[in-house]
Amino acid sequence: MSKRNAILTAAIRLSSPNGFKESQSYSKSNISKNLNFEMPSKVLLVDDEKEFVQTLSERLQMRDMGTAVVYGGKSALELIGNDTPEIMIIDLRMPVIDGIELLKQVKQTQPEIEIIVLTGHGSEQDKKTCMDLGAFAYMQKPVDINLLSDSLKKAYMKIKAVD
Amino acid sequence: MKQLKKFKPAFWDHRDVAGKHPQTSFNFRRKWKLLVLFTSFMALLPLFVMTLVDFSLTRRVIEDEVKSSMSKILNAAISSISFSTDLKKSALDYIVHSDPGKDNDIFVVNEDGTLLTPSFYYGKSGTPNAVNTKLFKEMAGIEKDVALNKKPVITGYARIKDSSLILVLTKCEEELTDLWLKPRLKLVGYLAISIMLILLSIMGTSTYLVRRIHSADRKRSEALHHAEYAKKLASIGRLASGVAHEINNPLAIINQKTGLIIDLLTMKKKLSSVERIVPLANDVLDTVKRCGTITRRLLDFARHMEPSIESVDIREVVGQVLAFLEKEAERRRITISIDIKDTIPNFECDKGSLQQIFLNLIENAFAAMEDGGLLTVAIKFKTKEELTITVSDNGIGISNEDIDKIFEPFYSSKNDHWGTGLGLSITYGLVKEINGDIRVKSRVGKGTRFTITLPLKNVEEN
Repeated sequence: MSKRNAILTAAIRLSSPNGFKESQSYSKSNISKNLNFEMPSKVLLVDDEKEFVQTLSERLQMRDMGTAVVYGGKSALELIGNDTPEIMIIDLRMPVIDGIELLKQVKQTQPEIEIIVLTGHGSEQDKKTCMDLGAFAYMQKPVDINLLSDSLKKAYMKIKAVD
Repeated sequence: MKQLKKFKPAFWDHRDVAGKHPQTSFNFRRKWKLLVLFTSFMALLPLFVMTLVDFSLTRRVIEDEVKSSMSKILNAAISSISFSTDLKKSALDYIVHSDPGKDNDIFVVNEDGTLLTPSFYYGKSGTPNAVNTKLFKEMAGIEKDVALNKKPVITGYARIKDSSLILVLTKCEEELTDLWLKPRLKLVGYLAISIMLILLSIMGTSTYLVRRIHSADRKRSEALHHAEYAKKLASIGRLASGVAHEINNPLAIINQKTGLIIDLLTMKKKLSSVERIVPLANDVLDTVKRCGTITRRLLDFARHMEPSIESVDIREVVGQVLAFLEKEAERRRITISIDIKDTIPNFECDKGSLQQIFLNLIENAFAAMEDGGLLTVAIKFKTKEELTITVSDNGIGISNEDIDKIFEPFYSSKNDHWGTGLGLSITYGLVKEINGDIRVKSRVGKGTRFTITLPLKNVEEN
């Protein structure tokens, strides 16, 4: 039974549009192709926890958002140079360039990008640092998808209001 | 006995409760005894010398007094005898007829020492060789002699002119002692009281001093104990928060995967199939397993917090400790190299102490290194019965001024990561507790190497 499941999983992974590679463009879910103007169409998720970030990405896509996934701060910086996201969701503890460093650099170069910090390692001190650096929100893993969606919606509204 | 117990100071039955720090143990009772003995000796010696001098002086003075009084009596007797030959006879008669008393034993002997008149100390008249006349060398004098009953006596003699007779006056020496019994008693009493006072004051001050040292020492060891406990708690706290954070990640995965399953089942925008949901559920199960590994690791660590001797596989211990730190190592790109070439059999040791030692040393090494450093843990045989364990890093190193003091409690360099200054002193205590030895070598800017030598006890034969 478990062997069959494994084969099934592999098949789905291969056919999944996000696959296990970092995505280089913001994709929307196949389930819903409707345009929803309340939802951001370019959300970049940065987290080295691949399983987590992929599943989250899929769920956000199911909620009418366009998402892209990268697994580290370096790829994130490369990507935002080419295709600027509206909102970023970043983890704090990542190898090479950690979340705080990434937050600092993004806010320096492209302050218009709203950043939501989503971490499993956070302390009150981290929260304060992030908010001081200009993060839009600071959330603890495991997070409720509705809370995260609300936060994304608010961030997007803030961007729209500026425009 | 109860009264005595009340006076017994607290340090008398002091046992080093800590027991963990052999370098700090202190035998208070011995110290007290040494102190009392030494000061007593130093204080009483001059007293004894002075009393002895005084004793012999007084004795001589009194002896002289007795002698002079004796020679007065003898002179008077001789002069009255030689005053008139007629009177000689009557004087002799007087002596003969007077009962020889204890106080005034005066008698006449001839050259051979035969008693011509009775004597209290030497016997009846006519006793031959009663007195040792060889002692009487001069015309007159005072000598010491021993009487019939072995009593020491003082004998004054005077030869009677123009005859072979000798007039002898004997006094018991005891009488002489009686004379100076009073001053002697006074002296002895004075001596005894002085000794008592001196001893009391010495014991008092010694007890006070040692008690102060004892209480200071106890406070210090209590503080050390407390600090050790606090350090242990802090290290548990750090572990707990690390584990909590580490568990948050798989929890977040479970959260998203189950959320996705619910999304797929409820959003019904596309026919959700078993093919999509079963793998997701399997992923959730895998992630739960991952959580289980983390909690098991923590439980295994917690189990060894209490000291207990058991058979230990040192490879496993190192692995367990590194498992805790691998996330941080990964994040900071620290390379960990484990060099265990020899096959090391299981041996008996306190696993908890070993874990704590490794955790402390590796945490220290991490604190000393920049991101991307190299940590090496090497274990090999030194001799057949000893292991050498080295933990080395290529971090900032320890300066020469600091290196002698790093094992001292509360010593903290500016670069100390944890700031309590206790990490290494506790590590030192733990190593000593399992009968090991720890040494450190370091070069500023190059790195630090801690070397632990550990005896292999009760090796398990495979």
